[in-house]
Amino acid sequence: MAAPFSKLTKGLKIAFLTAYLVTVVFPMIWVLYTSAKNTQEIYRSPFGLPKFITSPSRRHIKSLITNYRKAWVDSHFGRYFFNSIYVVGVSLALILLLGCMAAYVLARFEFWGRNAIYLLFLCGLLIPMQLVLIPLFFQFTDMGNWLTNLFAPPVRALGLGELTISLQNSHAGLILIYVSASLPFTVFVLTAFFRTLPGELREAAMLDGASEYRTFFSIMMPLGKPGIVTTAIFNFLGLWNEYLFALVFLTSDRLKTLPLGIASLSMQAQYRSDFGLLFAGLVISMLPVLLVYIVLQEKLTKGITIGALKG
Amino acid sequence: MKRGREQKLFILTFLGPPLALYAVFVLLPAFNAFRYSLTRWDGLSAPVWIGLSNFHKILTSGSTFLKAIEHNLFLTFVPGLIILPLALFFAYNIHQRVFGARLFRITFFFPNVISSVAIALLWILIYSTTNVGLLNNLLKMFGYRHPYAFTASDHLLWAIVPMIVWTATGFYMVLFLASMENIPETFYEAARLDGATPSHQFWHITLPLMWDVLTTGVVFLVVGGLKFFDAIWVMENGHPTPDTHTMATLMYSEVFQEYNVGYGTAVSVMLFLFVLAATLISLRLMRRERLEY
Repeated sequence: MAAPFSKLTKGLKIAFLTAYLVTVVFPMIWVLYTSAKNTQEIYRSPFGLPKFITSPSRRHIKSLITNYRKAWVDSHFGRYFFNSIYVVGVSLALILLLGCMAAYVLARFEFWGRNAIYLLFLCGLLIPMQLVLIPLFFQFTDMGNWLTNLFAPPVRALGLGELTISLQNSHAGLILIYVSASLPFTVFVLTAFFRTLPGELREAAMLDGASEYRTFFSIMMPLGKPGIVTTAIFNFLGLWNEYLFALVFLTSDRLKTLPLGIASLSMQAQYRSDFGLLFAGLVISMLPVLLVYIVLQEKLTKGITIGALKG
Repeated sequence: MKRGREQKLFILTFLGPPLALYAVFVLLPAFNAFRYSLTRWDGLSAPVWIGLSNFHKILTSGSTFLKAIEHNLFLTFVPGLIILPLALFFAYNIHQRVFGARLFRITFFFPNVISSVAIALLWILIYSTTNVGLLNNLLKMFGYRHPYAFTASDHLLWAIVPMIVWTATGFYMVLFLASMENIPETFYEAARLDGATPSHQFWHITLPLMWDVLTTGVVFLVVGGLKFFDAIWVMENGHPTPDTHTMATLMYSEVFQEYNVGYGTAVSVMLFLFVLAATLISLRLMRRERLEY
């Protein structure tokens, strides 16, 4: 009796899931193929497939190349892209190194004040970065002046010219913020992870005469790889897409990261309607992360859920 | 003896640098935020101590801040009420190995890896009143002659709701799915033996055992809603109106556009207090009603 009814609900369910799939995927595919059309073509038929696909010819491939050249070269997306890689790459390396160091010590050693320091790191999970933003902005000005006053005289005395150190509008400043802000979460997850590793390994290494440093770098770090990968993925996505701090701390165009690039593109879109360029810029910012996701999706979703559930 | 001293040095060199960075670039500015919020300051001249005046101004009825917090709550609960059931439904069906489960799981998560700024631009294009606009083209097919300005300030928040749902549902689905997969199969076997229907199993086994994760999900929604910034900022071209300000955009524009540093920081302190309250309440709920299995 129940069979035809349950078949119907099953069909409806799959229909609904498929409809949602189309809603999620279609806008992305639309962006992807529209980026191959020039602006007139987009205006004439906003949904039509690009001529580059329907009637491939050199002329139509050209509008695809023009869009991407305009975005990559003229609108500096190439530069933004490498800026993002640089800022996120350096930040991630530092986060993982410093995070592992702190987590390892907090997980594996007994010393006075250990719990207090651990709790102090945990407090960071409750602090929204918006609270830190404004004071940090002024603190960076002060620290820049202070560092300049400290180092400019000796540099001048050595005849190396005038030195000014600025943390504002510099990649170094942004990296400092990214690293510091990511530490609480990273330390939290990695401490839990290092606690699960067997302590005998460390003792055995120490008995063999290895120093604490050696033990850490050649035994504990490699063992911590699964935990490190999880935190790396979680931090990577957050930093790669970060907008607010980059907006406040990077003002010159040559320093901007990808999210800033897209934002300025969308502001231009209001009065300059070069839609070909806009779609190409979107593809440049969306496609690389999507490809990374498709390749690593198993690890990535696991990393994100573990990260989220612990956080 | 030597070992002990070596160990102390090791702890110091390993814990020192991360702790120092965290203290100088997170804890110190967080502490300073409270000091700033008690002053009137344009960022250049000497700050003037004014006690709680900023907070008084913030909480006066009809203030932009009170409207902003309303917008934050709107952007939390309206999309949230759609996202949670939708994500649960998707997670449940994928967990039941519906046809194409793997494909659904992978694609629904797509929007989560894209930057929120790119998503905002994508939706600007979807809503566009020019020929490009996906939705206005649809409307045209149904006979509407004039394009509709979806992103006009007075109803921009409504336009952002589908965008948030589109972006976030996949994330909560993956979260719920992970938790469903942790529930031991023996529970369901026992229930089936007792004659429980699939819907019984869902309401009496799956859902109660997911309590912790559901609470976590709600916390994420609330915290995300309270911090909401990127899409409003991009869609309003860096100049939100009192109709569209959230706490974070209000903070930014007060400090960096109006030079009311004290007032803007007071806004960020309020934001912090809301995030803190939401997190503590949920931790409390989790502890009290946790089901062990």
